[in-house]
Amino acid sequence: MAPNLSGHGNRPGDLVGTSMRWLITIWRNLFHKRAVDQILDEELRSYRQLLEDEKIAAGADSQTAQREAAIELGGIEVIKEQVRDIRRGAFLEGFWTELRQSIRALRRNPGMTAMCVLMLALGIGASTIIFSVFEAALLRPLPFKDANRLVELAETQFDLGMDEQNLSEADFWDLHDGTKSFQSVGAYNRFQTNLTGDGEPEKISVTQVTLGFFPTLGVDPIVGRNFSAAEGDAKVAILGNKFWKSRYGADANILGRVLRLEGNGYTVVGVLPRGEPWIDDQVYVPYGYHPAADRGNREFAAVGRLKKGVTPEAARKELQSLAAAMRAANPKEDKGIGFNIFPSRRWIAPQETSTALRILLAAVGLLVLIACGNVANLLLARGLARRREIALRSALGAARARLVRFVMLESLLLSALGAVLALALAAAAVRGIRTMEIPGIPRLDEVSLNPWVLCFSCGVALFTGLLCGLAPALHTPLQGVAAALREGDRQTGASRRQGRVRAMLVSAEVALAFVLLVSTGLVLRSFQGLLKEHRGFQTARRLMFSLSYPDSYRQNGRGKALVDSFLEELSANPAVVSSGAVSSRPVEGPDNGMNIDAVTHSHVSGPPPWASWRVVTPGYLRTVGLPLLRGRNFNSTDKPVWDEPGQPMLSHRTVMFSAALARLLFPNEDPIGKHTILWKGQFNRDAEVVGVVGDSLERGLDHGPALTVYLPYGRVAVPSEFVVETRGDPKTVFPDVRALIQRLDRDLPIEDVRSFDEVISHSISPQRINSIVLTTFGGFALLLATFGIYGVLAYLVRRRTAEIGLRMALGASEWAILKMIVAQGILPALLGITIGGAIACWLSRYLKSLLFGVQPIDLLTYAAVSAVLLVTAAFACFIPGYRAMRTDPAIALRLE
Amino acid sequence: MPIDNLYEPSPVANIALLQGTLDVLILKVLALQPMHGLGISRRIAQVTKGTFQVKPGSLFPALHRMEEAGWLAAEWGESESKRRAKFYRVTKAGVRKLKQETVEWRRISAAMAIALEIS
Repeated sequence: MAPNLSGHGNRPGDLVGTSMRWLITIWRNLFHKRAVDQILDEELRSYRQLLEDEKIAAGADSQTAQREAAIELGGIEVIKEQVRDIRRGAFLEGFWTELRQSIRALRRNPGMTAMCVLMLALGIGASTIIFSVFEAALLRPLPFKDANRLVELAETQFDLGMDEQNLSEADFWDLHDGTKSFQSVGAYNRFQTNLTGDGEPEKISVTQVTLGFFPTLGVDPIVGRNFSAAEGDAKVAILGNKFWKSRYGADANILGRVLRLEGNGYTVVGVLPRGEPWIDDQVYVPYGYHPAADRGNREFAAVGRLKKGVTPEAARKELQSLAAAMRAANPKEDKGIGFNIFPSRRWIAPQETSTALRILLAAVGLLVLIACGNVANLLLARGLARRREIALRSALGAARARLVRFVMLESLLLSALGAVLALALAAAAVRGIRTMEIPGIPRLDEVSLNPWVLCFSCGVALFTGLLCGLAPALHTPLQGVAAALREGDRQTGASRRQGRVRAMLVSAEVALAFVLLVSTGLVLRSFQGLLKEHRGFQTARRLMFSLSYPDSYRQNGRGKALVDSFLEELSANPAVVSSGAVSSRPVEGPDNGMNIDAVTHSHVSGPPPWASWRVVTPGYLRTVGLPLLRGRNFNSTDKPVWDEPGQPMLSHRTVMFSAALARLLFPNEDPIGKHTILWKGQFNRDAEVVGVVGDSLERGLDHGPALTVYLPYGRVAVPSEFVVETRGDPKTVFPDVRALIQRLDRDLPIEDVRSFDEVISHSISPQRINSIVLTTFGGFALLLATFGIYGVLAYLVRRRTAEIGLRMALGASEWAILKMIVAQGILPALLGITIGGAIACWLSRYLKSLLFGVQPIDLLTYAAVSAVLLVTAAFACFIPGYRAMRTDPAIALRLE
Repeated sequence: MPIDNLYEPSPVANIALLQGTLDVLILKVLALQPMHGLGISRRIAQVTKGTFQVKPGSLFPALHRMEEAGWLAAEWGESESKRRAKFYRVTKAGVRKLKQETVEWRRISAAMAIALEIS
């Protein structure tokens, strides 16, 4: 061990005394500075006296003695500064002084200060906002105790190609009883039902949960209690937090209220806390153990809490042996099953969201860097003007480290002010974001400026502060102090070097702006492309809504009767052009599909194609504007392809095809009259194609034309999504629609009332948000880069006024001057564009998942961005160039 | 060894050693009697036979630092030449420090001597 040379060893008893003295000295050094300094002054004076005395004693005359003493003592101010630096609290003291000086300096320059603070606030604010969303959506842990021990359980049937499916009820209970890896497991099954007899009827989502479900998650109700062990199939309910607030206004006396779900009364016993996932459904009801549980239908999703110390691998292994036993015991239903578990973490957000948010975060990072570049440029320009001041300080004994600290402190102060402004900005934005709903981004209503986000903002502020100060700090003069003092503001070697640094900063800004603008351009082009996609549908003047049928509508044709009379009465309304119903709402509805093939001979190699199926009323296709291309539309003679219990089997089934499906199955043939196999490999129903309609983007604007088979509606197939084509604003028809429905069945909830345009618009809102955010960032980036170029040139022209005057006096034309100045600005911009182009080529592939119909390296976008940046740069150069051009040589030379 | 460069930027590794050296020398000369700054400087030169010429730029920071650390105490007094001067003396903590440092230095110099002799 190395010996402790500095020997700070203290006896324990001294510790208190030592630290007391430590505090006292700091106090004295900071607050009685003058007295402390006076003592030092006196001490140095006396030292000098003693030196003189010594010299005189050695035989020198008093003048020689004085001179020699002065020489031996050296620079008094330097010594003082060294002593001050070594004093305790010197750092703090220097800090306070410098802080005061910085504040003074910033106040002397209010315009520049405001500019810097604004730019930094913009950068820090934007990054805080994006990060707050990022944090809530992706980083925040799940709202469960020890969420890392929480896993999702799934069944696998690899021979059927299923690597993750729900569990059947009986399988769940086998697992529940058999496993030793889990502290507890719980299963749930979500279904939709109608809530009636309690204000407006409403279709709600209800989750049946086993009694172990909430204990597994570790969630306790915030009001009331959990389901008790005896309440396996009791008619009790726990409300989700959001539903409690939205429907019952967070009524504290909710306990004991009876909810009527499809006619059954459920007593409310509790309310859950806020949070996602699993506990954000509307209503929870208990689901008990049933000895004769179903084994074939896989309807239950399951969660489990691992015992402490059990690894997921160990649990997986145990479950595999359990699955083997189950396969052996139930060779039919459990053929080929296995189990898999997934960490609960993976729930948090879908991959696209995560990618999109990461890209936005990167984009905002670029913006921050550009803002830093600008602020650094402004500080550099001012630093040059302050060369004299800094040189003076260094001549007076300020160490270089201290000067650097001084410059850094100033930029940190700017970024701190920027951060304050940014947080105000972000706080307002966050309030807005919480009310938004963007598909795919979870927990938006929980976005907040929590400590993590604040830490991030502070980090960004610190980073920007240091980064902005870096270039000016590195340019504090070291040598040539005398020269700086003598020459002051005039152009020197150092300032030429600084000119190069500033040009480099401009290039960097332009390059960063280029990357950001290319991303913006690509995403905008994708969005435009998405909007321009040929939808097939006509979306204007279409009202959409869904009816939520109770179970009873499936019997005795009640549902069909309602749909028929509703559509018929609606057609009498003069504001209605046509109307129809479909089983799944276009673009945003769930996509039901089947394997399908031609009966005669298959033109498709490999597995039969997968087509979406939609049950439609005859009026539907016309109402959404799909043209009939061949054959005929459905009419009342067409019956559903499903058999109705108690009725004779259908001898003749009819279907209609979308053009793409017809082309695929019957290329170069007339599909009309051809037969097709529906649900090939499963039910194998034969049906005749009676009509072909135009293609549509049934499955979403970014999914391309859907292969769709349209099936006729009837007593066993009652579509619940309605479309009404109107003459005027579709929303104005809705009161009539509601009145009509209420007359037909007052307990029937009407859901999701929107115009078709709104449905389309909502379906692309993630893309729209990306476009808006990136466009905003791109715009700011352009603005900042322009400002940066302008700032550099304006300063340059001011500094070179005399030189320009001289040139003009010697016969340079105005045009030559303009060209000279513009070239000075355009060259770094060109360099920036080139570098930015290279970086963008390299980075844009990460954008791929956000793009639609455009390649990451899209020449048009790159060219457009280059043009925009060049034009802006030229514009930014022109104003200072023009000013230089108008320089009056006589005045300019006099300035010298 | 010229000691007047002690507080100029120098390789970091040496600072502790050199700083320690000056501290020990100051403690040692003050242990005999209280002295003012110039006296300390002259006495160090004398006892080290001129090897260490402590200049004010090194001396004063060291004295003030050691005073703050509580090893030295100072009071104003009168010099031989009847001048007002600040006299430093070693405190109890300073004495302890000196003992400790002396032990360390003996060990090091013994170790160095052996090391240098072997090679």
